[in-house]
Amino acid sequence: MSTPVPGVPASATDPRAPEVAWRRMHPITPALKGWKALIALLAIVAYNMTDNIRNIGELMQDGRWRYVVAVVLAIAAVGFAYATIAWRVTKFVVDDEAVHLHTGVLFRQQRQARLDRLQAVDIVQPLLARLTGLAELRLEVAGGTGSAVSLAFLRESDAEALRAELLARAAGIRVRPDEAPAARAPEQPVFEVPMPRMLASTLRSSTTGWFVVFAVVIVASVVATRQIAPVFTLVPALLGVGGAMWTRVNQGANFRAAISPDGIRLRHGLTEARAQTVPPGRVQALRFTQGPLWRGPDWWRVEMNVAGYGGEKNQQTENVLLPVGTREEALLALWLVLPDLQVDDPRALLAAALAGSGEAGGFTSVPRRARLLDLVGWRRRGFLVTDRALFVRYGRIVRHLVVVPHERTQSLALKQGPIQRTLRVASIDVHSTAGPVHPMVEHLDQDVAAALLDEQTERARTARAGAGPEQWMRRPEAS
Amino acid sequence: MTTASGPFDPDDVTWTPVSFRLAHARLTVTAIVVVVGFAVTVPFALLVGAAWAWAPAAVVAALGLWAALLITRQVRAIAYAERVDDLLIRKGILFRSLVVVPYGRMQYVDVTAGPLARQFGIASVQLHTAAVGTNATIGGLPPQEAARLRDRLASRGEARLAGL
Repeated sequence: MSTPVPGVPASATDPRAPEVAWRRMHPITPALKGWKALIALLAIVAYNMTDNIRNIGELMQDGRWRYVVAVVLAIAAVGFAYATIAWRVTKFVVDDEAVHLHTGVLFRQQRQARLDRLQAVDIVQPLLARLTGLAELRLEVAGGTGSAVSLAFLRESDAEALRAELLARAAGIRVRPDEAPAARAPEQPVFEVPMPRMLASTLRSSTTGWFVVFAVVIVASVVATRQIAPVFTLVPALLGVGGAMWTRVNQGANFRAAISPDGIRLRHGLTEARAQTVPPGRVQALRFTQGPLWRGPDWWRVEMNVAGYGGEKNQQTENVLLPVGTREEALLALWLVLPDLQVDDPRALLAAALAGSGEAGGFTSVPRRARLLDLVGWRRRGFLVTDRALFVRYGRIVRHLVVVPHERTQSLALKQGPIQRTLRVASIDVHSTAGPVHPMVEHLDQDVAAALLDEQTERARTARAGAGPEQWMRRPEAS
Repeated sequence: MTTASGPFDPDDVTWTPVSFRLAHARLTVTAIVVVVGFAVTVPFALLVGAAWAWAPAAVVAALGLWAALLITRQVRAIAYAERVDDLLIRKGILFRSLVVVPYGRMQYVDVTAGPLARQFGIASVQLHTAAVGTNATIGGLPPQEAARLRDRLASRGEARLAGL
């Protein structure tokens, strides 16, 4: 929700009386944000110059470097000046219903995020902010990419207090200004990922596998053709692999999960620290993944869909519930999302869902005739419906399990292509919010699929009717 | 469709087909494409003068004919049904799909009509949920039916509104 009001001072259009106390960001903010212009410039220059290192050499000759330095300084000055002006016009206020944020220098923006639509609250600390004890507070509302309200930067303690206040208000607890600020909800640690396991799991990931395959091909070609040139293609590949691994380790480092009345709390990051809070009932779908090399230690990676976390760019960062964990921790991750699974033996259920195949554990598998559509993994394909969620199992080499709570089902689709039709099988799409998880039950017997579509629609409806309120600390109205 | 028995034809559902004017609109688009195709291929054939040079024009004609046949069948396959709690949309012949959208999950409804669609007196209604994958578009509704459906969906959605 944004209303750009170009050219008009924010205060003039503000219909609200002046009694609201607008709050500002921390005054150091421009110093932290001003670098962005310079970094962007350097990135562009570096990108264009990597091909031709001689150009840089030419630039540095004949005293021309002075101009280079002058340009860099000028751009830095513009960046910092802009950041200062931006800081001056940025202000926010929190009331019972919403967070109001006014930003923008040329194009003024007044954003109002309703607290009952709150999907997650993150405190993000990039390296520079961490060194200065500042933090960015991000409120995710379910409005697609770019809908988050970002309050950057606040003092770390202020950010934490504000998060507690926002969560309390979003939970339906009314805070009056004369009362003491909302206390931080107590939290209970659930699991943490040790660093050695994080490193080992990264080495055992598919990235390494592809790199090894690539290296073998290159070495083989060098041996076969007796030319040394192909070896040099290994260098960018190595850099790419190294970069990917670093990102993964950096984001998964110090990963800790905790549960509190405000929901799931995740903390992680080596250089950029991130503390996420996902209130109860905000996780739309879960996916458990195990690559072939993780099978020995029985490690699993758990990703989640949360409305608002949908951005493609940050899927590796925001949507991870467990970067790597044992089966026991995978079960804990499932418990975080679905505390009341309502099955007799969750361990047996998860064993069948994660590693099982065929009809074991109550799963409905795909008919034998569907093997033509999935020669390798057809035995593993299957689904199980419990009172609370739909479990979808697939993949034999890379094992997957997708879990969708019934009340989070958005819409459903039954699909059948020409080959599926001759085999009398059909697929079901369970539409979920944007994120890494795309729940799909493929190649079911067509009558089973039709029945599942019907039942799942009905289950989603009943589950929604019985689901807790959006404001999770409010008692559900007696009905 | 007579072939649509089984999984794509649930019991106790009365399907409403979309207006056949949608086929007219799509056929018009196809006709324009074919005319443009001929405008390129026929002069080429005349200039070259050889028999093989007519092959591109023949391909255009064949594709146009095929598309025309496909469009009429496709449009006949599109149908929707309003149930008490959800809307069903069925489409496709070769790749068939049946989408179920609960009214309570709808975030907003779009009614759109392009210049060509307006000429033929049709509009399309699209339902949006919080999921990006929801592809629930009903093309080819008469404008008053589109407006009625929009209002009906909006009021039903409001009555059953839930969070995400």
